[in-house]
Amino acid sequence: MQTETVIEARGITREYPYQGDAVHALRGVDLSVARGEMVAIVGPSGCGKSSLLNVLAGIDAPTSGRVSLLGTDLYALGEGARSALRLRRLGFIFQRFHLLAVLTAAENVELPMAEAGVARDERRRRARELLEYVGLGGRAGHRPPHLSGGEQQRVAIARALANRPEVLFADEPTGELDRRTGEEIITLFERLNGDGTTMVIVTHDAKVAGSARRVVEMADGLIVGGAR
Amino acid sequence: MIVSAFLKSLFRRRGRTLLALAGIAVSAALLLDMTMLASGLAVSFGELLGASGYTLRVTPKGILPFDSEASIDDGAGVARRIAAVRGVRAVAPVLGAQFRIVRGDSTGAPVFTVGIDPRSEFLYRLDSGRQPGPGELVVSVPLARDLGLKAGDELALAGELDVTLGRARATRRYRVSGVGDFLYDYAGEHSLAMTLPDAQAATGRAGSVSLFGVATDAGVADDSVVRRIAAAVPEVSAWSTRQLMGEMDKRLLYFKQLATILGSVAMVVTALLVSTIITIGVRERFGEIATLRAIGVSGRRVLLAVIVEGLALAGLGCVAGLPLGLWMAGRLDRILLSFPGIPARISFFAWEPRRVALAMGLVIAIGALAGCIPGLGAVRAPLAQALREEAE
Repeated sequence: MQTETVIEARGITREYPYQGDAVHALRGVDLSVARGEMVAIVGPSGCGKSSLLNVLAGIDAPTSGRVSLLGTDLYALGEGARSALRLRRLGFIFQRFHLLAVLTAAENVELPMAEAGVARDERRRRARELLEYVGLGGRAGHRPPHLSGGEQQRVAIARALANRPEVLFADEPTGELDRRTGEEIITLFERLNGDGTTMVIVTHDAKVAGSARRVVEMADGLIVGGAR
Repeated sequence: MIVSAFLKSLFRRRGRTLLALAGIAVSAALLLDMTMLASGLAVSFGELLGASGYTLRVTPKGILPFDSEASIDDGAGVARRIAAVRGVRAVAPVLGAQFRIVRGDSTGAPVFTVGIDPRSEFLYRLDSGRQPGPGELVVSVPLARDLGLKAGDELALAGELDVTLGRARATRRYRVSGVGDFLYDYAGEHSLAMTLPDAQAATGRAGSVSLFGVATDAGVADDSVVRRIAAAVPEVSAWSTRQLMGEMDKRLLYFKQLATILGSVAMVVTALLVSTIITIGVRERFGEIATLRAIGVSGRRVLLAVIVEGLALAGLGCVAGLPLGLWMAGRLDRILLSFPGIPARISFFAWEPRRVALAMGLVIAIGALAGCIPGLGAVRAPLAQALREEAE
């Protein structure tokens, strides 16, 4: 059965200037991700995992190469158009949750919907639904400082799902969590993927990698296993 | 929603924000006071000049009112020629002089005395009693209070003082007809008014006048009457209130310069305060801002939110600064008015709504601009690098 390719990256290189020289974070990476896949990108520190994630997600333009995301040549778009694409069709989860401390859990989840122009009643209803989905229905009115690390990451996941993203990107989502809480997050990811969300996750966590359908191994700026 | 979130963030560190607001309030108050000071004296003086309804002054050629002892000869003839000019409603002659009050063997300090036309009520308003007739005086309220004078009392005035013997010479006796509120006196000043012929006789300056006050017809422009008087009576100078305010402005240039310098300092302090608070706040939220940009909040929206923070800080500072500035202006006015020789009715600080609104608007605009700089830094920082730094 032919599955739709949602991410197609070809010949990706990324260099960063450093003290008159250049750091070669990516040295020619090819990667495809099909709709509904959960792909884990693993490798030692400094191998270029996060750099690759940022390029695939439209956050960081490659030095050379091409990225097609959801049928769009990603870096042919201007920064404003890429921003709009990230807001309306992608979701992001980071190692440090970076919720807005002055907003409640529900308001943090509402924020991307507000930026996308969703009406207030609709976004409040959806925020409550998403918090229920991630198991925090009873904490909607709490602010991040009053939530545990695991709860904050769940709110961040709910925020990432706010505008019904077609692809979810996660960079070390369990990096700041204890083992048990990390396992709860993995369970949630499995549920999300089971519901059809395409996911690309950068991780050091073997359990996260183990729950993915495909594991892409990186070393020294190159994919050394699992690419398609 | 992001704008309101950023505004809430401003008050997350209440102590720091309140300190900054206090600083901005003081700067805004200083700027308000300097704005009021820059034009206060001239505006207040202009209002005082027209208080009695005589909005023009006619003086000896090239001389400002009471700027010298020069006088206009043939005062009566000049008065008739001025009165004949189209647009002139009334002419009030004044002769300035100095007399000393003699009480027993002692002779007091010189007292400024004006010879006037009692019908004009040009330089004072009668507080009690009646206008002076021949051989009579109106005394100022402080003089009446300090010497216990009332209508009907007698007063001896000396035109000269023999400095060798310390005795008064050319003493004449007058009866007090009334007590008056002298419009141009400084606080507590002793002043006298007598009829013009009495002043001319006592000073030996028959027919002389120091200046004229001129009232114009309703609806007639003062400047046009000034031009006609200058044409009809070329041996005198005619001044409108506007022109006298302009001369006052030239003499008080140092006030304007001081006000400009201190006002500029206030604006710089405001910019630095707002910029510092916003910069610290943006730096603390660098990760949040990078994450917001990563999830698709546009740089423009983030910049707008930061600018609104700056606007809010400056705006709230202005609101607090306004009553503080008005209170400070009142205190400073009392201090400045205690300088000798300043008319008590003058105010150094003028409330001109348009200028005050402009000054406060400037503070708020500076707040927005000061918020711009850290905001631009936050949205222009390479996103991937910002996310990486926050993860480390």
